Amino acid sequence: MGISSEKLREATAEALVRAGSSFTPGLRAAYARALEVETDERSLWAMRQFLENADVAERRTLPLCDDTGIPHVLLEVGELAEFGGAHLGAITEGIAEGLKRLPGRPMAVLGDEVQRIEQSQGLSLHSEDVIPPAFSVKRIPGDRVRITVLLLGGGPEIRAKTYRIFHKHRLETVVDEVAQWGIEAVRELGCTPAVVAVGLGRTHFEATSLMLEAMARGDLERQTPLEQQITEKINAGGSGPLGLGGRVSVLATLVNIGPQRASGVRIASVRTCCGIEPRRATVEVG
Amino acid sequence: MRPVCLETPIPPEAMAGLHVGDFLEISGVIYAGRDAVLPKIVAMSDAELAARGIDLEGSVIFHTAVSVAGVGPTTSSKIEIEESIAPLSARGVRIHLGKGRLKADSIRALHAHASLFAVTTPSTALLTDRILATEIAAFPELGMEALYRLRVDRIPAVVAIFHGESIFEQQAQRG
Repeated sequence: MGISSEKLREATAEALVRAGSSFTPGLRAAYARALEVETDERSLWAMRQFLENADVAERRTLPLCDDTGIPHVLLEVGELAEFGGAHLGAITEGIAEGLKRLPGRPMAVLGDEVQRIEQSQGLSLHSEDVIPPAFSVKRIPGDRVRITVLLLGGGPEIRAKTYRIFHKHRLETVVDEVAQWGIEAVRELGCTPAVVAVGLGRTHFEATSLMLEAMARGDLERQTPLEQQITEKINAGGSGPLGLGGRVSVLATLVNIGPQRASGVRIASVRTCCGIEPRRATVEVG
Repeated sequence: MRPVCLETPIPPEAMAGLHVGDFLEISGVIYAGRDAVLPKIVAMSDAELAARGIDLEGSVIFHTAVSVAGVGPTTSSKIEIEESIAPLSARGVRIHLGKGRLKADSIRALHAHASLFAVTTPSTALLTDRILATEIAAFPELGMEALYRLRVDRIPAVVAIFHGESIFEQQAQRG
């Protein structure tokens, strides 16, 4: 039996609402670790506010943040699944339905190309008009389809950076550069403590895709030595939650390293996610 | 540390005892606006503001959109928002509420007008019950980016910049 479009639509809508209104267990665990090591009064206040807000959002199914973000979809299709264009349409409809239910912030900019850049024709009044960019698609074993919905807020987009690093054939060079970008970003971000998502690839597109996958799949509870190293270097900067000072500017780091080009250059995409991110939820249909 | 409770319009004497790092709870009528509308408010005359019932003396401007999704601070260092801080302080705005670090020029301008910058967390769900009423005060065509008048009850915040001091610069020097 083929995959039901109706099930895909409903599962996607449910995933979007869950992503926008609850913390993942991993994010809660990261906050619990942070509260154990933090001593600064203002820093503790800020992190407790983040957690209390998440409790209320989850209990009442309210948006975690009024910037409900731009929905992104990571689609993993089983190699034995019968999957086609109609299914893509159902997922797109599920995103729109989820935005209506959350509700998403009505922030789609109206008009033609120039008018959209200049924001001269106002905004749509409809939450569901915030359309997702092209889906990321991967093949997985089996006959099921896995949909991960991510909601990407605007603050981290101001600070995110995709750029080249001359690595000098040393991992340490890449780590130092990424940590330096992170230190600069958390000083400016405002909504810290952050989770730093890092993609390392051959092109800007690939690095950004890897970074998105790090947000979707990264494990906030089991950090690799490399991820811990980046977190510690950024935390040594001392910005703290909201920039108010303290030991925890960064809760965790999620690194995703892809194929590399034979070259002295690596392309790194670094996004300092705000203190309610990654907002993600995954559902499987099949 | 117990929060200092402030009610709008904020009289000068209520500002005098505040310091960087203080916890605040803000109640009363405040304004909400961000990138699209704040330059328009700066460009309006006192008479134009008064015609819309907007009184900036002793006021609070929360850097946020207002929508069905709720409210929450946006990044205050976005150019159009940060450029509004000096002229609006000169016209009586006492507290600019948002998030993120501000430039040295803004720190000086706040100091010159005895205004402060406070930050709050993006606690949209938590703030839901503390926003008692909302109405559009100006430029309804901007939708969620219009200027809104909000009646609020105990919005929590921390003083980040006041008296020429910035909590962000203090952390940067320590780091």
